[in-house]
Amino acid sequence: MTTRTTLAAAAALTALATGSAGCSSTGETAARQAAERFYAAVAGGQGERACALLTPEAAESLRTGDGTCGQAVLALGLPGGEVTGAQVWGDEAQVRLARDTVFLHRFAQGWLVRGAGCRPRGDLPYDCEVEG
Amino acid sequence: MRRFLKDNALSLFFLLLFVLALTGQSVAGNSAYNDRQRAEGGAAVSWPEYVTSSEFAVDVAENWQSEYLQFLLFIMATVWWVQRGSPESKKPGDEGPESDEKQQVGRYAGPDSPAWARTAGLRQKLYGNSLGAVMGLVFLLSWLAQSVAGRAAHNSQQLARLQDPLGWGEYVVSADFWNRTLQNWQSEFLAVLSMVVLSVYLRQRGSPESKPVGAPHGATDVEG
Repeated sequence: MTTRTTLAAAAALTALATGSAGCSSTGETAARQAAERFYAAVAGGQGERACALLTPEAAESLRTGDGTCGQAVLALGLPGGEVTGAQVWGDEAQVRLARDTVFLHRFAQGWLVRGAGCRPRGDLPYDCEVEG
Repeated sequence: MRRFLKDNALSLFFLLLFVLALTGQSVAGNSAYNDRQRAEGGAAVSWPEYVTSSEFAVDVAENWQSEYLQFLLFIMATVWWVQRGSPESKKPGDEGPESDEKQQVGRYAGPDSPAWARTAGLRQKLYGNSLGAVMGLVFLLSWLAQSVAGRAAHNSQQLARLQDPLGWGEYVVSADFWNRTLQNWQSEFLAVLSMVVLSVYLRQRGSPESKPVGAPHGATDVEG
């Protein structure tokens, strides 16, 4: 390759890396709204509606014996609060609320909550009340 | 056309190999990525989505940066250091940037010398270091691309493990960044070392990268 071609390729790769790496504001808004819908359902006492916004694994983790997911998610008393920030990387998102941190995964149908009621543990993964 | 192909066969051969290998990497990488996605309950991505993703960009960039660093170091180290017996090295005693006469610059330049070699001062200095400078620039750009794309790919994994994403400053001192970087560097340095040392004792008939088959092991700066 000529010098110019090589430099152009490297510059293109840098641009691609920068472009592909950035957090998309559309993704952040959608993830933020999904977290807000989940907490609105919890705050409104709509357990089954809240469970519909969880990933299948997270919803399953809340089902115990004859207790439903809807009852369990309301019993946790998730604190929630105002959204203070959101980050999207690939198909994963983290939304910070005033009194909670939520993790979401992007599915074909949209963002679903896979971790809620999460407390930081330093370098270790967050310890979440709902996890799946 | 035939003349063009013959005169540029070496460049065209490696350009073709590069395109085929990069295409193959994108297809295999897309397949491997989708296997992981399915195993983790995620959705598969199309080839266009994959080749514009941070996962593909970091895999490409981490290899590019190490290759360009390899050639940068090889170009610069061979100015100042020799290896007796290696066709990749200058003769012992020739270390350094050499005289204007030997480098055919300034008043020693010939009528066919590049224009900037015939000049004096900054332009001659720039042209006289242009190969190393371009290799160094591509290395830095590729390494920067690796850090940006690597951070994005790493942060996606961090979030999937319910961990905080890292800022760019945190990522470039992280184990993931240096593991990706050093695993490529070590193989490049080993390859250069092998080339420098093995070419002292071994031969490849007809290759300018080798000494002539009958050249003595101690002969330096002799290409076959």
